[in-house]
Amino acid sequence: MSTRERLRVLTAVVQDHPGVLFRVCGMVRRRGFNIQGLSVGPTDQEGRSRMTLAVDAGHAEVDQVAKQLDRLVEVIEVRDLTEEPTLNRQLALVKLAVTGPHRDRAVAEVDRAGGRVLDAGPEHLIAEVSGEQERVERLIGSLRPFGLIEVARSGPVAMSKGIPKRIAEEVSHA
Amino acid sequence: MNGAQIILEALQREGIDTVFGYPGGANLPIYQHLPEYRSLRHVLVRHEQGAAHMADGYARASGRPAAVFATSGPGALNLVTGLCTAFMDSVPMVVVTGQVPTAMVGRDAFQEADVVGCTQPVTKHNYLVTRVQDLPRVMREAVHLATSGRPGPVLVDVCRDVQQASCEPSWPEELDLPGYRLPGPPDRSRLEEAARALDRAERPVILAGHGVILSRAEPELLALAERAAVPVGTTLLGIGAFPVRHPLSLHMTGFMGTGWNLRAVQEADLLLCVGMRVDDRVTAKLDEWAPRAETFIHVDIDPSEIGKNRRPHIEVVADARAALGGLAELVTPPEPERRRLWLTRIERWREEHPLRYLRSDGQLQPQDVVIEMYRRCRDRAIVVADVGLNQIWAALWWNYDRPGRFLNSGGAGTMGFALPAAIGAKLACPEQAVWCVAGEGGFVMTAQELSVAVEHGLDVKVVLLNNFSLGMVRQFQDDFYGGVRSQVGLHVIPDFVKLADAYGLAGCRVERLDEVPAAFDFAERTPGPVLIDCRIDPEANVYPIVPLGKGLNDFRELPDEYA
Ligand SMILES: Cc1ncc(C[n+]2csc(CCOP(=O)(O)OP(=O)(O)O)c2C)c(N)n1
Repeated sequence: MSTRERLRVLTAVVQDHPGVLFRVCGMVRRRGFNIQGLSVGPTDQEGRSRMTLAVDAGHAEVDQVAKQLDRLVEVIEVRDLTEEPTLNRQLALVKLAVTGPHRDRAVAEVDRAGGRVLDAGPEHLIAEVSGEQERVERLIGSLRPFGLIEVARSGPVAMSKGIPKRIAEEVSHA
Repeated sequence: MNGAQIILEALQREGIDTVFGYPGGANLPIYQHLPEYRSLRHVLVRHEQGAAHMADGYARASGRPAAVFATSGPGALNLVTGLCTAFMDSVPMVVVTGQVPTAMVGRDAFQEADVVGCTQPVTKHNYLVTRVQDLPRVMREAVHLATSGRPGPVLVDVCRDVQQASCEPSWPEELDLPGYRLPGPPDRSRLEEAARALDRAERPVILAGHGVILSRAEPELLALAERAAVPVGTTLLGIGAFPVRHPLSLHMTGFMGTGWNLRAVQEADLLLCVGMRVDDRVTAKLDEWAPRAETFIHVDIDPSEIGKNRRPHIEVVADARAALGGLAELVTPPEPERRRLWLTRIERWREEHPLRYLRSDGQLQPQDVVIEMYRRCRDRAIVVADVGLNQIWAALWWNYDRPGRFLNSGGAGTMGFALPAAIGAKLACPEQAVWCVAGEGGFVMTAQELSVAVEHGLDVKVVLLNNFSLGMVRQFQDDFYGGVRSQVGLHVIPDFVKLADAYGLAGCRVERLDEVPAAFDFAERTPGPVLIDCRIDPEANVYPIVPLGKGLNDFRELPDEYA
């Protein structure tokens, strides 16, 4: 299996205690998995964070990553979204050293690719782009000829499409 | 109250009565207040590793957890091997370590180590406590986590200033652990499915692991096996879950398991594994394991164990006792005729592949020593084995009938486990005879704990199966590494009888079979700890054995010329 086929996309809701990230990453490493992308942020519930992980499961059985994550006491809920219809987004900031005529072409390129210029100075531009990983990578590639000097990229943020049955029922009862 | 008192009070409230520990700069507040807590018996060990193994032996023998105290840095780090040993074998333990004061954390202070970081992979959970008001909750959670579900060691690292800070403790009524869910009763439809599969099976086998013992499910296992007429084998740690002398017993499975067990596993059309991890010591080469099992049923309390190594056809996430009890009710007893063929085949394998060893009038054979011990104690004794050949001899040549009678480090294979674990077992079960069986290699790794046995007058009888070598490694080198004996000779070892004397216990030496009974008479007659140095045949091996990298079918037996 290639790395791509072994890749699992999971979300985990965790207690936002100090060291939780270390625990999650430590577990992933110990079990022979490899984190390809990671993002963490607060949820709308106090004391809970949500992580999105893209994990190469290595030689393990596919459900092991989720099961091992779930074993951690501070991990409240794990979902493996790999087989589900999912929205998966990344964000990148790109800094270009551009002057003169290049500049207009660079702005046009950012525009064409659906990005946004966030900051512009006499010698530079900073553009923001978000989307699926491939799209973000494509845009970065297309800006490369314009004097790309710095790229900052986030890990993935994922969400399954639709409403899980359980919640749908709760909503309809409310 | 200060933090130290809260810790001690919490242990008392949770019904913990024994602490194995060692003081040092970062846990002195706890030791200052320890004498106030009369119901806590503290055992001063001689090395922190000993404390962890003692608490481990205590829990394995009694099912009750003990506590462990150690200071920061080197004190806590000395626990790591003992934590790993307990973690791998799912043994409950509550560990409290001292940490440098809160303000010093992260500055490489004297005796500072990242104990929470270092012990994360070898604990079920751990905590760093930096606020005294958190202690009542953390201590309660620690005991609950250690003892519930799949048990394991839990460590609480407490900064020294927190131990000294005062607060009015508020003991939580309820625990709030939203990420910790215990499995409910087994899924009825899965059990039905498993029962129907058992009804249909022609050649069923049950394998029982440590989980059966941890959940005290031996009666349910026996009921299921007898009702469905299914033979039962155990893992090394499952020994005692099913009586070895029962007609349906297959004894021990795995890469040093009995021949008839391995034949049965390899021929089975249905395999039911309960409370076990299906690890490589059980399966040997995984893709050659149980090749004819059309139905593999896996029951375990930990969902992550299911499908980790072999994907089951039917999985039941539940406590072993609930699952086996449910299954025993649901199976239909087969017509005796139906099982006869299968049980007869197993009987034939038992005759074709008996456990054998070299009979010799000359050198003392280790199996003879174990058999003589068994003849004397039967199932009245707790046998605590170390790691190596001695461990397998003690596992195979004794007819364990009850759980908690054979203790050893299975998952981690920690040399040096036996003596401290035997001390812990004796403290937990003072009315039981406790025998410690060890090789001379493993024994010297923790031999300093003899002082603890002497200090507390513990009747622990130490039987050294002394082969002047790292026996199991020597056998591996002989059998699987081209016969190159490299760094396995222990030519210079202490005179163990003098060593015993130096520690203040009685000792004797045995070199021939006919001296064995007198030595055991002496050991049984003498109160307190006794050491018997048995000079065994240095070439004695364990059989059967599956060559490394091979499947169970390839097990090797004692070469005929020796039998
Ligand atoms: C702490 C530790 N170090 C190394 C090993 C590897 N090992 C496994 S068995 C063994 C030999 C044990 O020798 P001894 O204690 O004399 O027992 P014997 O096998 O001779 O009965 C060794 C070195 C281990 N299991 N544990």
